[in-house]
Amino acid sequence: MPELSYREAVRDALVQAMRRDDDVFVMGEDIAEMGGSMGVTMGMLDEFGPERVRNTPISEMALVGTAIGAAIQGMRPVAEVMYEDFLTLAAEQIVNQAAKHRYMSGGQLTVPVTIRTQGGAGWSPGAQHAQQLEAWFCHVPGLKVVFASTPEDVRGLLWSSIYDDNPVVFFEHRTLYPIRGEVPEELEPIPLGKARIHREGEDVTVIAIGRLVHDALEAAKQAEAEGISVEVLDPRTLLPLDEAAIVASVQKTNRAVVAHEAVARMGFGAEVAAVIQYQAFDWLDAPVERVGSKFSPLPFSPAMEQYVVPHADDVLAAIRRTVGR
Amino acid sequence: MLLIRRFEEMVEERFRAGELPGFLHVAIGEEACAVGVCAALDEGDVIASTHRAHAHTLAKGTPPNEVMAELYGKLEGCSHGYGGSMHLYDVERGNLGANAVIGGGLPGIVGAALAFQLRNEPRVALAFFGDGATNIGTFHESLNLAQLWRVPAVFVLENNHWAESTPASQQLPIEDLTLRAAAFGMKALKADGQDVEAVYAAAAEALDHARDGRGPVFLCLDTFRFSGHYVGDPQIYRPKGEVQMLRETQDPIEHLRAKLELPDEEFAAMDAEVHAVVDASVEFAKNGTDPRPEDALKNIYA
Amino acid sequence: MAVEVKLPRLGQGMESGTIVKWLKAEGEPVRKGEPLYELDTDKVTQEVEAEADGVLLAIEVREGEVPVGRTIAVIGAPGETFEVTAPAPAAPAASPVAPVPAEPAVPAPPTANGGRVKASPLARRIARERGIELRGLVGTGPEGRIVAEDVERAAAGAPAPAAAPAAPVEGVELVPLTSLRKTIARRMTEAWQAPAFQITMSADMTRAQELRARLVELQAGEGAKPTISDVLTKVCAAALMRHRAVNARFAGDAIELHPTANIGIAVALPGGLVVPVIRSCERRTIAELANARADVVGRAREGKLTQADLDGGTFTISNLGMYGVEGFVAVLNPPEAAILAVGAIEEKPVVRDGDLEIVPLMHMTLTCDHRSLDGATAAEFLGTVKAFLEEPGLAL
Repeated sequence: MPELSYREAVRDALVQAMRRDDDVFVMGEDIAEMGGSMGVTMGMLDEFGPERVRNTPISEMALVGTAIGAAIQGMRPVAEVMYEDFLTLAAEQIVNQAAKHRYMSGGQLTVPVTIRTQGGAGWSPGAQHAQQLEAWFCHVPGLKVVFASTPEDVRGLLWSSIYDDNPVVFFEHRTLYPIRGEVPEELEPIPLGKARIHREGEDVTVIAIGRLVHDALEAAKQAEAEGISVEVLDPRTLLPLDEAAIVASVQKTNRAVVAHEAVARMGFGAEVAAVIQYQAFDWLDAPVERVGSKFSPLPFSPAMEQYVVPHADDVLAAIRRTVGR
Repeated sequence: MLLIRRFEEMVEERFRAGELPGFLHVAIGEEACAVGVCAALDEGDVIASTHRAHAHTLAKGTPPNEVMAELYGKLEGCSHGYGGSMHLYDVERGNLGANAVIGGGLPGIVGAALAFQLRNEPRVALAFFGDGATNIGTFHESLNLAQLWRVPAVFVLENNHWAESTPASQQLPIEDLTLRAAAFGMKALKADGQDVEAVYAAAAEALDHARDGRGPVFLCLDTFRFSGHYVGDPQIYRPKGEVQMLRETQDPIEHLRAKLELPDEEFAAMDAEVHAVVDASVEFAKNGTDPRPEDALKNIYA
Repeated sequence: MAVEVKLPRLGQGMESGTIVKWLKAEGEPVRKGEPLYELDTDKVTQEVEAEADGVLLAIEVREGEVPVGRTIAVIGAPGETFEVTAPAPAAPAASPVAPVPAEPAVPAPPTANGGRVKASPLARRIARERGIELRGLVGTGPEGRIVAEDVERAAAGAPAPAAAPAAPVEGVELVPLTSLRKTIARRMTEAWQAPAFQITMSADMTRAQELRARLVELQAGEGAKPTISDVLTKVCAAALMRHRAVNARFAGDAIELHPTANIGIAVALPGGLVVPVIRSCERRTIAELANARADVVGRAREGKLTQADLDGGTFTISNLGMYGVEGFVAVLNPPEAAILAVGAIEEKPVVRDGDLEIVPLMHMTLTCDHRSLDGATAAEFLGTVKAFLEEPGLAL
């Protein structure tokens, strides 16, 4: 099987969609000649030209809102918000407009817009360039939210997001861009709303997203050596959530850990824990553990940044706690 | 214009009778803006409206029955009971929706215009908004981007000199709002918003300009709001006598009637016809179907 | 590297099994895939295969009930040393003799919690299902929490100190419950919780008997001889396809309507009742059903049924006709919506159009779960069964 980096995988989905479909175009800050601040759209200007690979001024509301307007007219724009911290600026258009147009009109239109963004800590980006805000958007009826963690998943899911007729907020993680992984020869669309089990196990289920999927797999390897069999499940789509897969897994293992880089309090993990608590109550042999960043903005100084953000050993500690060690 | 006037008066009446839920904002006094602009639109052009949407919606062609039914929250309403007064949509007739967020619809109009441009369609996207909206971020970002990309959009400012209860002097540091367009290098036109023919002419010019690919246009219409911000607004913030004076001197319907030298009987006959239509719309709405409670969970996702 | 053989979870919901006998002795070589021991689960006795090559170094548990996951043997290289990691049980597994009142080897009960016992939801459920008292158990979880393992260990270990009989009465033989008997007891109790109602009808079996006789003629020794039961199975399947609400299972917050009729046939065995399921009966001919029935009943009698034979039923037929029973009421087979009890076919006098006729009648009683079915639906279904039996051509 061929190998692509996560970054290349995102680009591949965009390029293939744009080749197939004139209605797909990308817009964002610095995405044309520069190829995007994360290099995702590198080379696309040459192939598709400035009409379909559009640089925008620094206007998140207009950038996202324009994409929404074009989507309502039947195009499939992919808007890039450079850092997910800046979703806060575009949030009015995402939450008040994109998520609600179909509903408020009584079903008269669709908004097939995809809003791509990235975020995450590492290498001291500072408090305003490193947030993980996926939970906010999982709270808005009318939106779909995706957060893939491998090259294969990000490619297949971005394609499906572009072709989903609903507004999708598509999260990428900056430290995942360089990781390489096997991808199918032909792009295989991955349906939204389906989890993926990376590793099967018997003793505890770790439900992880984004960067923490990889940390969870590392922790699982270590746990195995300690005699704990860990199942690692990546929901991949956060909204709609594959509750059935999560519950089935916990019913099998009787223990659960939820892990994400976002702040633990009121994070996506809180919803998963509630789902597990409710639907798998009689199967739980230990409380559901949540692994996430400590409740603080992200500090600049590396030692402090490392302290706030979760790592593989935090996941391992949680795993051990579930089996009573 | 007369239809809109009588419709809006009926809305005030029905609201006071306790029959209409939610927030309502009527455009009494601003009829010429809606009618003049919408009359100049081509088939295929689209509009986005504001919280004060009844006039635009009726002028764009949605039958009064469907608008009134929507205000009553019935399935037969243009938004099938899901939107209400501030979210009137009629996508088939080119009405992309009324927006309760000030300036919320502007970026979407830029997007629609962009789509027309990319697909080479001779269509124009038009946004209505008020003077209050010229202060908000989406206004500036939208005009900036529209002009930068020269998309076929028209931005229609209905300047009634009030942002809810805040007069122009307390919210606008400038008087000539066409300067707001000049800041972006955008072509700006002005017209008397109480003169429906002047509005129509200016709108036609603006639409031509945009449709020709010469870039977006900012159309500034000077108008007056005879009613309060919302239905039920006691307007304690308004100088005494202002509304009375405006009704007497600035009524767009009276202006047109005088210009056309319409005989009283003809006007009365027209008025009676319009009253009948409006009365019928209330009947239609009252006899409409209430959505089932569980219908609330439909139409969230495609 | 020595490999621990642990009791596997062979079916959904299986929490323990009873080792019946070892098929290999200590010191014997073993190959992966070879049958290693016989295990009696809730419903079937089956052979369990070895999962590794090597020599059976040790048998940790010779026989008796063992919780799932417990180490029961070790396979490795000859002469290899090993250590079994699972905790040793408090007492040897229950042996099939009269229960001895156990000695409660208990630390102080957790009254520190104001009388509340700290136990995980899973531990509570297992305790509930097995009738084990939580109070008095040692909790090995964090902060002394009782976890599932603690309850399972208690269940496998010393039997609960029940109110022991003062002294066994002379001549009374105490037969301990086998796994199978326990299962029957549990499921029948469960069934009794469902709000059930019964409808009865009698069917004129003249045409059904003629059909059966004809089929036996035609079949002429090939395969199993079709019986009235097989005709009944086919008729019920056809009726279930027309009354889909009866081909259902109650799922707590929903009713599952199944697309195909998987009919369970109640089979009486010396040890108890089993209900093997014949799948998709509506798609099989009566002859095919006869063969399927003969196979599954044969295997039931030999104790060779698998889990798959017992799962997935949507309807059950119980026939006590061969015992001369005229009619009876069967207990529901939960979560199935209905069960049909039939009696013997007997010549009875019947009035038809004012004339007295002698007619071979079969008494049928349909027991229904009122959570899934109402009387009218059930009556319509049974009416269809009767109509099809009385005129089989109608089912075609």
